[in-house]
Amino acid sequence: MTERKSHKSDRITGVLLLLLSLGYGFEALRLEADFLADPLGPRAFPLLLAAALGLFSLYLIFKPDPDPDWPPARVLLGQLAMLVSFVAYSYALAPLGFLLATTLEMAVLSRLFGAGWRRGFLGGAGLALGLYVLFVFGLGIPLPLGRWWPG
Amino acid sequence: MDVLSLLAHGFSVALTPLNLFLAFAGAFLGTLIGALPGIGPVNGVAILIPIAYALKLPPESALILLAGVYYGAEYGGRIASILLNVPGDAGAVITTLDGYPMAQKGKAGEALALSAISSFIGGTLAVIGLTLFAPYLAEWAIKFGPAEYFALMVFAFTTLASLAGKNPVKALIASVFGLMLATVGIDPGSGVPRFTFGEMKLYDGVDFLVVAIGLFAISEVLTLMEHSYLGTAQRIKVQTKLVSMKTFMASLWSILRSSLIGFFIGVLPGAGASIASAVAYTTEKRLVDHEGTFGTGDPRGVAAPEAANNAASGGAMVPMLTLGVPGSGTTAVLLGALMMFNVTPGPLIFQQRPEIVWGLIASMYIGNVMLLVLNLPLVGLFARILTIPRWFLVPAIAALSFIGVYAVNNSAFDLLFMTGIGVVGYLMRKAGFPLAPVILGLVLGRLMEVNLRRALAISGGDWSILYASPLSKALWALALLSLLFPYLTGFFGSRRRPPDV
Repeated sequence: MTERKSHKSDRITGVLLLLLSLGYGFEALRLEADFLADPLGPRAFPLLLAAALGLFSLYLIFKPDPDPDWPPARVLLGQLAMLVSFVAYSYALAPLGFLLATTLEMAVLSRLFGAGWRRGFLGGAGLALGLYVLFVFGLGIPLPLGRWWPG
Repeated sequence: MDVLSLLAHGFSVALTPLNLFLAFAGAFLGTLIGALPGIGPVNGVAILIPIAYALKLPPESALILLAGVYYGAEYGGRIASILLNVPGDAGAVITTLDGYPMAQKGKAGEALALSAISSFIGGTLAVIGLTLFAPYLAEWAIKFGPAEYFALMVFAFTTLASLAGKNPVKALIASVFGLMLATVGIDPGSGVPRFTFGEMKLYDGVDFLVVAIGLFAISEVLTLMEHSYLGTAQRIKVQTKLVSMKTFMASLWSILRSSLIGFFIGVLPGAGASIASAVAYTTEKRLVDHEGTFGTGDPRGVAAPEAANNAASGGAMVPMLTLGVPGSGTTAVLLGALMMFNVTPGPLIFQQRPEIVWGLIASMYIGNVMLLVLNLPLVGLFARILTIPRWFLVPAIAALSFIGVYAVNNSAFDLLFMTGIGVVGYLMRKAGFPLAPVILGLVLGRLMEVNLRRALAISGGDWSILYASPLSKALWALALLSLLFPYLTGFFGSRRRPPDV
């Protein structure tokens, strides 16, 4: 390691964690029980955690590790596309049904991992069908058929 | 009742057709999951939990299946290590050192056979150790009061912190984060909702499964996007052949020593298969490598880490079952699974639910035999699985994660939450925060708080009860020592270690 690495990642993380510990701690302070079953009540343990996290995050801010190698923009874009597809899939699963939604999702993911659209669709359709048969008929675990389809 | 009659009772549970089938399924899937780089035991177990849950399996059957995946994965991990020089899971990293050179010399079949036998010996010796030690440890642990339990859990976190990553503080942060997640929901002590922000879905707490699958599987898929090295083997020819008696006898002492090392390292909280295999390999290298052949395809260098990592996974079951305090990410996930089935492991389980512990232990004897059979003649089949292209494999892992989470509550909210946790897990991996402490914190959080509050209720609010008894003093001292350990010795601190899951 000849080049000097910056320590920004850990410092930013440390500040965010410090904010989290403060927010969590204040939220814990507002907790009150109607009756006290035990001397500690609902607050003490969370307050301990908040204090510990605050302490550790200060350590992180003042003694940060060198930054990790964040992936290049091309990979970040791919990861972002993947996350968008996960969110879309979460919303599409019930209305589109497992078979269609999964085929589309698998095609997109296969594409992101370097396959062509044709292979992706075929592979995705095969996987969706195989999993559907396995889960619904083999294991008896229901998967959504889709609200948009008649029947 | 003595151990043998308890074990006999265990076999009567494990030998029912359903449980035999599940032990086989666990062994098979475990080998598969271990063999595939990019999906390790913790992901495999996490993805299978919702399936076991949805199938409404009785708890002992579910545990037999999930534990089978766990120890089976240690068998499978070696296949990719030997054939591709890419470890199939974290415990098999060391196996590449001599396994791949053996394969390059045309001895892949021999390396696979020897490592399968070493795995079997290590795994079986660990189950024997589990059979002998677990009941005594459980009997002893029954005397633990809430203060001792609290100190024990602190000890589990500190050893995990000192062993699980390069930076102990980051591991501690990960632990606290997991504990914080565990405080979300209705407080069992007072009935007050905590950190729910009025969201009804959070009243029952953060769903353990959603966190486990998001944290491990989804973050893994995001990480795999970065790596191009995860090569798929083009053509793999594996001669299924047995290892010669001479080679086996030459490795036998290494196997036995490494099994012992592996078992005891596995029992320690925080240290799992990857550390066990590393320690066993270095020990053998010091003891028997007189000609300097380690690293160039020495069969003993394959046998030692494989015996150790399998023994470690058996050893890791000891604290999980007897104390209810898991020492690794995967055993934490197993513990979380048991809690989903309304079973709380710990010393009382040996008295109250003997069919669960002894059924599991008996099934591990059977499972190891099945694994040996699966991994000797059928190793070619598993090797062929390595030729599945990446563009199909990774999306398939994602699909299974989504089905698993969706099957539990049929809720899109859970899928989104899982994706969010996956992003957190990915960022944590990148920034050097270990993931196992988060899951340990989430699983142990409630128990830790309950014990703290019970202890303080006994003492009437006097905090000194936490370190009043000699046992709790000893546990606090051990916890402190384990935190200082990386600074006291360069042995663990100087070497780059793979993350243990």
